[in-house]
Amino acid sequence: MSSVLVQAALPTARATRWTPGAALAGLLVAATALTGYADRPADLVLAIAAAGLAATVVAGLQDPAAALLEALPVSVMRRRVLRLAVVGAPALAVWWLLDSLSTAQLSGPGPLLALTATGVAVAVWAPPRRAVLLGASTPVALFTLHQVVPSGTTSDVIAWWLTDPWWVLAAATLLCVAGRRR
Amino acid sequence: MSAVTAGRAPAPAVSTRSHVLRALVHAEARRMMRNPVPWLCLALSVWGMWMVVPEPGEWPASSYEAMNPTAVPLLFGISLAVAVPFHRARLEVAPAAPVAEHQRVLARLLAATLFVLVAAGFAGLVAWRERDLGGLWIGMEPGRTTEALHTTAELSQFVVLGVLAVALGAALGRRVSRLVALVPALFVLWFVVMVYWLFGHASVTPFSIMQVQPLVLEVGPATADPLSFPSDWLLVGEPHTSGGWARQWVSGALAWWHDVWLLGLAALLLAAAWPRPGRRVLLAAGLALAVAGVVGQHVVIP
Repeated sequence: MSSVLVQAALPTARATRWTPGAALAGLLVAATALTGYADRPADLVLAIAAAGLAATVVAGLQDPAAALLEALPVSVMRRRVLRLAVVGAPALAVWWLLDSLSTAQLSGPGPLLALTATGVAVAVWAPPRRAVLLGASTPVALFTLHQVVPSGTTSDVIAWWLTDPWWVLAAATLLCVAGRRR
Repeated sequence: MSAVTAGRAPAPAVSTRSHVLRALVHAEARRMMRNPVPWLCLALSVWGMWMVVPEPGEWPASSYEAMNPTAVPLLFGISLAVAVPFHRARLEVAPAAPVAEHQRVLARLLAATLFVLVAAGFAGLVAWRERDLGGLWIGMEPGRTTEALHTTAELSQFVVLGVLAVALGAALGRRVSRLVALVPALFVLWFVVMVYWLFGHASVTPFSIMQVQPLVLEVGPATADPLSFPSDWLLVGEPHTSGGWARQWVSGALAWWHDVWLLGLAALLLAAAWPRPGRRVLLAAGLALAVAGVVGQHVVIP
């Protein structure tokens, strides 16, 4: 089964639209470089980058050929994992580049992985028609709420993706595993 | 009889065209207004704006600067709501369709002007809130005010940013093949703009999307006597600067020229969404406005 996935990796990569993600990565690199010029901490820019890259990776789950591929003996979850790997690897590389360009306290891929996993979990459990759209919107919504909700318990819970990303990643992964047949 | 019929023929055609356009505008406006995203984003913006209150010990002008970025969620919502119908337009319609493509694009843009009115309403709300608070704080003694209000020129930026948000949504909606890819793209584009201090340096600010005043202009070393500066200057010094005295400069002229730059950008973006005939005019107008806006800002900045 894994050989099927390996064979499918190249066509999947070819079918993926890379231009929006590449443009977004360029913008993030430029913004991170500007933080050095402005001599200010880049934490906020990195948080935006985490949410933006996570949303891009989750958006990569959208498969225009999904209906056609349903007949194949490869589960939906395996195809999702393949697409996540194809889009996720460059996103991690971009994150590493941004992290190395900045001197932010927010370091390591934890927030990016936590937001991505949360988005994927939402995409797995949401109604199929809007699953990927809702999943890709989840990192964006979590970031925005974190910015707007005043300090308190609710704000602390929303910020778990920043403060305790590995726990969020574990919980979201469990949710994805639980929904592997969806 | 036939001469009379021939003479009247053009009139119903023009009338029909305008009726069709009006009907299209209504239909598109209804669809856009039904989208819950801009309204949720408006609620977030209003909530964020309401939370901005000057506090003792804040960085001089912190609350004044914080007012502008609160509009970012609203602008993101506007772009997203406009992008959806423009993305729908990627589906080809038969060339013989009774309504030409440029009319359909025009109808969508006219419908989207309702969102520009929402942005104008938000600007009005900011102005009212600042007066309700009794003004915001800029500067530190001896050059300080506790009654600073955003000028009309600065408030107009919200409206022009609304136009830009419509243009950005139209351009990306028309050009990006997958609707879901618009969510991260618009998010990063607008929320990087929210980090306003990235574009605060005098040499960068003419090219910024959201210009947040006051600009900080160095005026003297730490040993300088602040009372020797003109009395109408708003000042900031140590520990808020890395050393020396700086002037917190607010300019209506700079804000107006920045609006011109933003309108130029909006025209350039609209060119990406407009059908081929007429695109060159938008490109030329956008380029001229953008260049004029940047040059104007550079001339105004001391």
